[in-house]
Amino acid sequence: MGFAENIRETLKIKIQKNLNRDYIEKILGIVGSWPVLPVYGMTFASKSDKYLNIATIKNIKKAYCQKYPVAYGSLFLPYELLHSLDLVPFLPEVMAGFTAGIGIADKTLKEASARWYTPDLCTFHRSASGAVELNLFPLPQFLICSSLACDAAQKTFYIDAKKYNIEDNFYLIDVPYNKTADSIKYLASQLEDISTNISKKMGKQVDMDKFKNTIRLSNEFRYWALKVNDIRKELLIYPKNFNGLSFILPFHGLAGTKDAVVVYKNIYFELKDFLEKQKGSSGNKKSGSNIKIKQDIGKTKRILWLHLKPYYKNNIFEILENNNCRVVFEEISQVYWPELDGEKPFESLALKMLSHPLNGSVENRMAAILEMVRSYRIDGVILFAHWGCRHSNGSARIIKDTLRNNNVSTLILDGDCLDKNNSSEGQILTRIQGFMEIINSEQS
Amino acid sequence: MTEPENRLRNISNHFSNSFKTTKDERLRVGWLCTYTPEEIILSAGFTPIRILGEDRVDKAEGYFPTNFCPYLKSSWESILNDISKLSAIVFANSCDGMRRLYDICKNYKPQTPSFMLDVPRINTDASLKHFSNNLFELAGFLGELQKSKIEFDFLKKSIEFVNKKRTLLKKLNHYYSQFNCLVDNSDYFDILKLSMISEPEIFVQDLHTYLEKIAEESATLEIVGDSENDGFPPRIMIIGNFINESKLWKSFKELNCKIGATDLCNSSRYYEGLVEDMEDMENASKNSTIESLLGAIAARYLNKPQCMRMANLGIKLKEVKENIINNNIKGVIFFSMKFCDNTLLFYPLLRQHLSETGVQSLFLEIEHNNFSEGQIKTRIQAFLEIL
Repeated sequence: MGFAENIRETLKIKIQKNLNRDYIEKILGIVGSWPVLPVYGMTFASKSDKYLNIATIKNIKKAYCQKYPVAYGSLFLPYELLHSLDLVPFLPEVMAGFTAGIGIADKTLKEASARWYTPDLCTFHRSASGAVELNLFPLPQFLICSSLACDAAQKTFYIDAKKYNIEDNFYLIDVPYNKTADSIKYLASQLEDISTNISKKMGKQVDMDKFKNTIRLSNEFRYWALKVNDIRKELLIYPKNFNGLSFILPFHGLAGTKDAVVVYKNIYFELKDFLEKQKGSSGNKKSGSNIKIKQDIGKTKRILWLHLKPYYKNNIFEILENNNCRVVFEEISQVYWPELDGEKPFESLALKMLSHPLNGSVENRMAAILEMVRSYRIDGVILFAHWGCRHSNGSARIIKDTLRNNNVSTLILDGDCLDKNNSSEGQILTRIQGFMEIINSEQS
Repeated sequence: MTEPENRLRNISNHFSNSFKTTKDERLRVGWLCTYTPEEIILSAGFTPIRILGEDRVDKAEGYFPTNFCPYLKSSWESILNDISKLSAIVFANSCDGMRRLYDICKNYKPQTPSFMLDVPRINTDASLKHFSNNLFELAGFLGELQKSKIEFDFLKKSIEFVNKKRTLLKKLNHYYSQFNCLVDNSDYFDILKLSMISEPEIFVQDLHTYLEKIAEESATLEIVGDSENDGFPPRIMIIGNFINESKLWKSFKELNCKIGATDLCNSSRYYEGLVEDMEDMENASKNSTIESLLGAIAARYLNKPQCMRMANLGIKLKEVKENIINNNIKGVIFFSMKFCDNTLLFYPLLRQHLSETGVQSLFLEIEHNNFSEGQIKTRIQAFLEIL
């Protein structure tokens, strides 16, 4: 274990031993301060990881520091709205991923069980609820969730609102099933009403200039995210520890901020550099590149990853890489929405939500998956079937059959993104190995 | 307390005509969620039939993960086997499971026309309008199947008819919950089941006749549960989703447990609340349009006792509280069919709320059409002892 990893492990252990909101705030206060944060960022192996971690710590620290109004938000909200209202977003589902990452999910899940959240429920929501009950998350002023993509957040957010005694500040954005002119109007009116209502509660008026600026930044982030995704169509060698499934916070929660622009701009330049090296190395193996290319690029199998990944320490991606398979794209990284119009912020954000492939019929999701399969010349698809996710796993049969009809092999990998005790490492390994054998034999 | 001598034990005698019509050959449209307006299906000339699901799930298992709503799996089994000979199915955007069942049905049974009715989760002027528009789409879908348009008069008559059915079912509930041994648990739930799967006109006739006899019977009985010490066991309330288990209701009887109120997909959430403003429409019938009727229907469905799917769980808590007070309830048994997120995630909130108000609750998870009778009975028995 290197020096940097030692620091991170020490921080984890300290949080595990002092599990309370004040201590987390204290740690974030130290790590997130100048010049500690840039130095901490430098301990990461790649630029992408560095900017991801700096942006993450900076924004989580902001949520904990008690100087700004905090709003809990569910994953697929249009966060441009929160940033325009000067709310600091805090994403309990994403933070549930952190509970697994820092090794406290056992405790949060146990707390949720004690509060009658049954083990059949999704661990993202159970762990987040446990963390709320353990008073680990910052105090919110507002809770905003949407019916996109699943049922669970709506319920847990309401329970959280009740705990904090702010039921009047709970908002559900009811996302219509179909994308039609009528549904855009209905959704846009909700976004506008919520903005007006929250602004009123904060003693101010909706600042349309702020909305325009946020939309501009969101479009800028979208521009770089598209460029990143474009590069990934060719890219097979990546910076160390790069994983597209780690960028959920900037991709969603920071959309509409300068931070998201910085993160994606830096990812783009780093990946561009890697692509150039990759091209150089495939043309001339002695190109003098300082980027180690372990795999035989010509033989690398291109994998599309659906849903999320386990956020506790695991070696799934290492196994894939060691067997010449590379996750070249993730469903969650797709830029699914059109450019936003700053003159019509509510309609634009409504359209963004309604464009999400996980909304409505599985046909939307399938169309997006098939498009990704084509664009990224995918050899095989892995659907991580996270325990308790009725939304995603309920589509598994259709996904598998449709991809089979398109001559693409699919692995439905049962597991749990947060609870390592609910995931059998051995079984996962066996299934991945079996899958790799299949796609290798298909190619040969 | 002894049961009335001429108690109406066997409902099959009273509902024999309704039973026959559960197998008739009229054109039928299946539905699964209580947010599906039967009045629109009726006005299009179809018999609305609730898909209850098969007792045994075989083929359907392969389409869904193991931890998926057992009611939807068994419903898919029923659809796959063409048990109800449905001309079409109306799904409602009620939960994740239902959305996936609709996807599965469209993919693997495309020959059965299906419609997804988008039901809002919030109750505002905008959501009411949105829902009215969706009902208009539904009317168009059903009209197209019949190659005609839904007529104003047909829809109005259907609304009145379904209102009548609801009123009668509410009356049935009164006799069931307020009198001891007049309508037993199994009969009550069997009648409710019939109300959802038999030819509506015949069922309403049967129910009307049955209730007349029950009314005569009730005249000789006292209303129970109005006081603390009426000699009966404590009254309990049942809350849950779609709990359609004959054996379960029998168990309650065997345990001498009085169900004083229910809040289920197949009880109050189905029949409570009428489509209102019909009188106003009568007066203004010249100016009324299909849209105004659909608006009234939309309002009924968004204002009926809530499913846990709705956003404002505070309203649901209020409904439960009112039921507890109005029916002198001493304990709540919360049944959730396994893997129903909306229901399962309501319980932590409900439990906390009930404990604050001093009402005991018991949480039980069950499968659809397959539950461990002995185990459940033991747990209920233990709970009743605590009460």
